[in-house]
Amino acid sequence: MEALRNALDFSDFPRTDLYVVAVAALFLLVFPLFPHSSFAMATMIQFLMFSIYGMGWNTIGGYGGQVDLGKAQYVGIGAYTTAVMLVRWDIPFWISMPIGMAVAVCWSFVLGYPLFRLRGHYFAIATIATSLVLKDLFEVWDFVGAARGLEISPIHYDPPDFLRLIFKEDIYYYYIILGFFFLGILFVNGFRKSRLGYQLRAIKDNEDVAASLGINVHWAKIKTYAIATAFVSLVGSFHACYIKNIEPEDTMSLHISILIALMAMLGGAGSLWGPIIGAAVLIPLKSYLKEWLGAHAGLIGIDLVMYGTIIMLVSAVEPRGIWGLMERIRGRRRG
Amino acid sequence: MALLKVERLVKDFDGLRANDHISFQVETGELVGIIGPNGAGKTTLFNCISGHYPVTSGRIIFDGKDITGLKAFEVARMGLARTFQVYAASGDLTVLENIMVGCFLRTRSPRSARIRAKEIARLLYLEEVSDSLVSELPVALQKRVSLGTALGTEPKLLLLDEVAAGLNPAEIDEMMTLIQRIHHNFDITVLLIEHVMKLVMNISQRVIVLDSGRKIAEGDPRSIAHDPNVIRAYLGERYARFLPKGESSGP
Repeated sequence: MEALRNALDFSDFPRTDLYVVAVAALFLLVFPLFPHSSFAMATMIQFLMFSIYGMGWNTIGGYGGQVDLGKAQYVGIGAYTTAVMLVRWDIPFWISMPIGMAVAVCWSFVLGYPLFRLRGHYFAIATIATSLVLKDLFEVWDFVGAARGLEISPIHYDPPDFLRLIFKEDIYYYYIILGFFFLGILFVNGFRKSRLGYQLRAIKDNEDVAASLGINVHWAKIKTYAIATAFVSLVGSFHACYIKNIEPEDTMSLHISILIALMAMLGGAGSLWGPIIGAAVLIPLKSYLKEWLGAHAGLIGIDLVMYGTIIMLVSAVEPRGIWGLMERIRGRRRG
Repeated sequence: MALLKVERLVKDFDGLRANDHISFQVETGELVGIIGPNGAGKTTLFNCISGHYPVTSGRIIFDGKDITGLKAFEVARMGLARTFQVYAASGDLTVLENIMVGCFLRTRSPRSARIRAKEIARLLYLEEVSDSLVSELPVALQKRVSLGTALGTEPKLLLLDEVAAGLNPAEIDEMMTLIQRIHHNFDITVLLIEHVMKLVMNISQRVIVLDSGRKIAEGDPRSIAHDPNVIRAYLGERYARFLPKGESSGP
């Protein structure tokens, strides 16, 4: 009960912020009702997906300060669980998604136990390594289609298949991911005010002090890592139904891991709105750069240059990202 | 009954023996001070007791249980809290939230943690700043917050590592009153490391002196002040010989 009330309570933000949030939420709700290009729609869905990835990353990476660069492996676990179950046994999304989540969370416990014996940069490097190993395994595993990947060929598009999440029009995908997006915000809003949320922020600040307050630092990190994993795996499952053709390269590559972390850091790690702001800036920019500068002007790899620049700017100008910058300008330091 | 019993505690760092067979005990309800020159091994001793360092040999008994080798969070859960010398409190959290983190050891509910934290803030005169970020407060208040956070864990024994360091004389007096208040009102046994003699000598019922990793003296503040070993440790052999003969023997 108390947790639910905390999740629905945004009263620690100033009223002006809440107006902006309300307008943004309204815009997201009505966006598909207005004329739009399919490019815009695809970008919006990408934005929502990466916002949720970022929210998940933000629990362990932002509030907990553990820079995790291996989230893509859990995108892969979610996506592959849903795809394999659908293709081989015709199991619908609403069953395969929680199973994928459970598999991913179990895997996160197996990895988290040794990984969180490491601190700082060593932890970050180890997360990259584990993610790359999993991707390489999937590339040679025939059961999941190896490097060719898996294709979900729809049995029928009409009527819209809400069980398997197979739709012809993107608008259905849009509203489903939007629902997850709102739920994600509520969850993180509750999380940051929960016991674990506060303990995690103490851990981020000083692990020895946290331990002296009776916090099992190692276990608190593992638990939060599992929460982050659940977020990522859910969107991974959605990704499988939405894209309908998954390969290790576009679900589990280092590129995705970095993008997830980068988005949260750019928007503001350790703040509720940070990852959303980050995704809102980065995803349209990325799509645009890829589409125009990459494909048309032949500047392939321009998006990578941009990521590097962003990392440098964030660490030099404001480590708490765009949200931190806004807070500083307003003379506030909360959120 | 002895709440804390340290038996022949040894702590080695590679070649360096930081704590050399230290034994002492603290009775329930006592307020004991630990003094000693820099590098005497005081903070190391605290880190061993609180589980932050593994001990090389010896035993630590707390509340009738052997806590040697337990992890820091396990020791804290048994009711032994501590503050840190350098670190005061989490700068990103407000005063109240910092204290809440301590309170979360005994409750899962954010609401009851908040209520408890407010009580502690009131007792430590932190009410007015309870919604400020700790990083924006002066050192004296930050130190008080760290005291509050430790109190939030509802300890039986509180280890204070130089809570008066960096404070001005007026602030030291305030801190002194607060420590006595915690000791009396909360019924908490206190063991404190301190360089500020005014504080240690005024409020400690007993003082333990460390030098070069060894315990060189133990007794009430008055006799410690006149102990030749202690004077030698602080001032060196050269000055100790100027001591008047009658005072050097001690009680």
